[in-house]
Amino acid sequence: MTVTKPSETLEHKVTNLLHDGFNARAFGEYRLPEALGDSRWTDELIVSTWHMAETGKVPPDLNYKTGKSNGGFDRLEFKFLDEAEWLEHSDALDTTMDLNRRGDERDKLSCDLPFYGGGMSYGSVSLNVMMARAQNSAKWNTYMSTGEGGYPEQLLEYKDHVITQVATGYFGVEEKYIQSTPIVEFKYAQGAKPGLGGHLLAAKAGEEVAKLRGSVAHVSLFSPFPFHSTYSVEDHSKHIDWIQTVNPDALISVKVSTPHDVDMVAVGSYYAGAHIIHLDGSYGGTGAAPELAKKVIATPIELALPKVHDFLIKEGVRDKVTLIASGGVRTADDVAKAIALGADGCVLGTTDLVGIGCTRCANCEGGPSGRGCPFGITTTDVELQEYMQQDWGAQRLDNLYTALQWRLREILRKLGLSSTKELVGRRDLLRYIGGDS
Amino acid sequence: MQVLQGEATEGANVSEGNGSTRLTIAEFAARSASRADEYHRYNIETVETKDIQPLPNRFIVKVAKVGLAKFLLKETLQYWGKWDVIMSRPCTYGVFSGPVGGFNPRPKLCVGCLRCTVQHPDFTTITPNPARAALGDDYVTHLHISAIDEEARKGSIPVRGQGYRGKFGGPGWEGMFTDMSEIVRPSRDGIHGRELIGTSVDLGSKPMSLEFDDSGVLTEEGPQMVTIQVPFIFDAPPASVATPKLHRIYTKTAADIDTLVALPADVVRSEGLASREVVPIIPLTSVATVAGFGNGTRIIELDGWDASLYLEATTTAPHLLIGVRMSFADGWQQQLLEVQAAGVPIIHLVADHHGLGKDGGFVMDTLREAHMLLVEAGVRDTVTLLGSGGVIAADHLPKAIICGLDAVALDLPLLFALQARARGDLSDREDTPIRVPRRLSEQWGTNRLTNLSASWRDQLLEILGAMGIREVRRLRGEMGRGMWQTDLEAEAFAGIEGFPGGGA
Repeated sequence: MTVTKPSETLEHKVTNLLHDGFNARAFGEYRLPEALGDSRWTDELIVSTWHMAETGKVPPDLNYKTGKSNGGFDRLEFKFLDEAEWLEHSDALDTTMDLNRRGDERDKLSCDLPFYGGGMSYGSVSLNVMMARAQNSAKWNTYMSTGEGGYPEQLLEYKDHVITQVATGYFGVEEKYIQSTPIVEFKYAQGAKPGLGGHLLAAKAGEEVAKLRGSVAHVSLFSPFPFHSTYSVEDHSKHIDWIQTVNPDALISVKVSTPHDVDMVAVGSYYAGAHIIHLDGSYGGTGAAPELAKKVIATPIELALPKVHDFLIKEGVRDKVTLIASGGVRTADDVAKAIALGADGCVLGTTDLVGIGCTRCANCEGGPSGRGCPFGITTTDVELQEYMQQDWGAQRLDNLYTALQWRLREILRKLGLSSTKELVGRRDLLRYIGGDS
Repeated sequence: MQVLQGEATEGANVSEGNGSTRLTIAEFAARSASRADEYHRYNIETVETKDIQPLPNRFIVKVAKVGLAKFLLKETLQYWGKWDVIMSRPCTYGVFSGPVGGFNPRPKLCVGCLRCTVQHPDFTTITPNPARAALGDDYVTHLHISAIDEEARKGSIPVRGQGYRGKFGGPGWEGMFTDMSEIVRPSRDGIHGRELIGTSVDLGSKPMSLEFDDSGVLTEEGPQMVTIQVPFIFDAPPASVATPKLHRIYTKTAADIDTLVALPADVVRSEGLASREVVPIIPLTSVATVAGFGNGTRIIELDGWDASLYLEATTTAPHLLIGVRMSFADGWQQQLLEVQAAGVPIIHLVADHHGLGKDGGFVMDTLREAHMLLVEAGVRDTVTLLGSGGVIAADHLPKAIICGLDAVALDLPLLFALQARARGDLSDREDTPIRVPRRLSEQWGTNRLTNLSASWRDQLLEILGAMGIREVRRLRGEMGRGMWQTDLEAEAFAGIEGFPGGGA
């Protein structure tokens, strides 16, 4: 079957129908689709994310806070103060996050939210998706990561809010994109496929994607694991020196998975020169990954965070590094709980995608059609990618972030805190609650 | 073994056995090339093997015909002449691409993306098919069966997008995670090095030390071992479904992938299946017959433990490795040590299909206990531990090995790979309420079991690759490579109010 770019009329028809449909679902005009959702992302969580992306407000009658996974974030709740002690809901409640706490000469970056966008490569998602995320990141003074797939030229428009990722395949890594970025993210591992590297299926490696990656089209692209130039913390330090030579101002983020010795890895990364230690737990991931890897290899983020936070304190360096959590962080409540467990902030991936219309059908790798996401999100199919346009996506994300920030402030004020920074590591403000079994 | 001596520029003396031959460099290179060509790296060849009895569709697709007709009419008028628009369908998978489109949808093609229900919420609904969810029982769920079905069809690793979809950890195997190595790893080959990871295991007894006489010669013969290329064998199907055809499928696949299949001794005899791949299971009442199989038989299993009968069996058939099957009945720990002390080289621990022993323990715990009992007694390497029961997903295989097994004896997954249908509680090993399709052919069945084996081996390689372990033998009993939810939660949530054992 030959797939072509849709005519303007067809694109108009499909996008209008989809937009109307998301709107109708978000406002509860129809029953929750029975086939929607799972334990982690329930039907209510997905539709409430659509509602937030549609309106900028949390829904009045849906659970937008937790899933039903029977563990982790879903079994934690906050010990809110009595209502009389709550603070006023106000813009003065601080949700900013500092990204350079080393006190070195590099840029003193901070973002207005305690979260930013995780890496999703060009190829795993469409250019429209990348652009929408970048546009929204600029608006919110936060960031999004390129993922490992190169840096499309179009992103330069938002370069101050785009993190350049350097991963093990070095796909699309060029000096000018390292010089363009405020943060370079070394991806040592990712939670969805820890220790396995990356794999862009041939079906998704189209002409443009391959060109950006310095490859040929329609050939599967593997990122090996691990970095073949890194045997030790000292080697990692050399990586950082290399970046410093190319871009002396850029902050360094180190993205690692959550193995047994994640605390040692984190401390080693700090001593090698990292500004940001990004822990990616096993339950997340936006692209296609072996089911086994997501479920079994390494640990969920909730179980790794306290250990790393405590160990960094013990080493006396906790206040010198920004600790970021990702991998199954879905909601503002999850962000706040991750912070209470020890993170400074989070990285969101799936939440962004659900905001722009993902139903989590899991056919990102192409599914039986081989064309990727039918909503035009995780695909570079010439027809399908046109059904998720940049401006629409950016507006949805803007609305979503508005609602997430509102909810974060709601949590802060009910805890009597004036800043998310005051919440870091406050496990004493959490309560463990019974599950459904 | 060949030894190269002399100057490379002049040639080389090659000694083989007791002889020695002078070869030129060219001759030596030719011989080396010839031997390299003979080298075979183990791999399981797969071929996509379609269903003969497809699982119930995942979804039920309903389209309100009046609503659809109204929509089509409106669209036709609105977009008259723009046929690409009028003919476009809201499904990229072909559910509405049949001769009459949405008036007769094709639910077997539905993957649940729900685009149609977003685009046309007023006349399209997709619901999970309850018939699919009803597969299996409370231990072997429809998700396990669906995964096995896919693995047996494609022979590949199931891949999905958008993160994990299940519960947070959970009971049994669900609450166990495996470790990975962030930076330092022995292979340095990552995703391209998986083919170098060894999955072969040795069955039999290894001496804990070697003894030499005064002249430096070994005083005993080397260990009697059988090597298989994957850390799993096939266990006998339940008597309720066993047929000669099924036995032949198991045996042929075991031979093809270089592993073993355990079958009842009377079946082996009556169906003429004795071969190097087949492990006859002999009732204690028939020990006198242990030597009667031949045709390359290497291992037999006694179905139960009796010290004197074991001695009789070893005396009757000293050329065979004689293993013992034992259940997790009350007092199994004492019996395990007794069986080991008697010199049994292979102990096959058998739980029910839910992984439970008669003492109520789950295999994840009982296997660790068994392994540690032998480790603490200082005799672990003198015995091979096999285990049956409770291993129903690819991740259970490395987990069982981490817990102490040398190899797993697969049971129910083989039947589900052959698209067996189950009704009711599957825990009973003998009277299992399960039916195998009647019209399966031997070739189809062999292909499906081969695919399942390849998929599970590949998933094992993923786990080993992530850890940086070069051979599965090193994973056995490596409990430091496992992480348990209960331990991790106790560490992470200690002090949090409400957490069992936590803060006030």
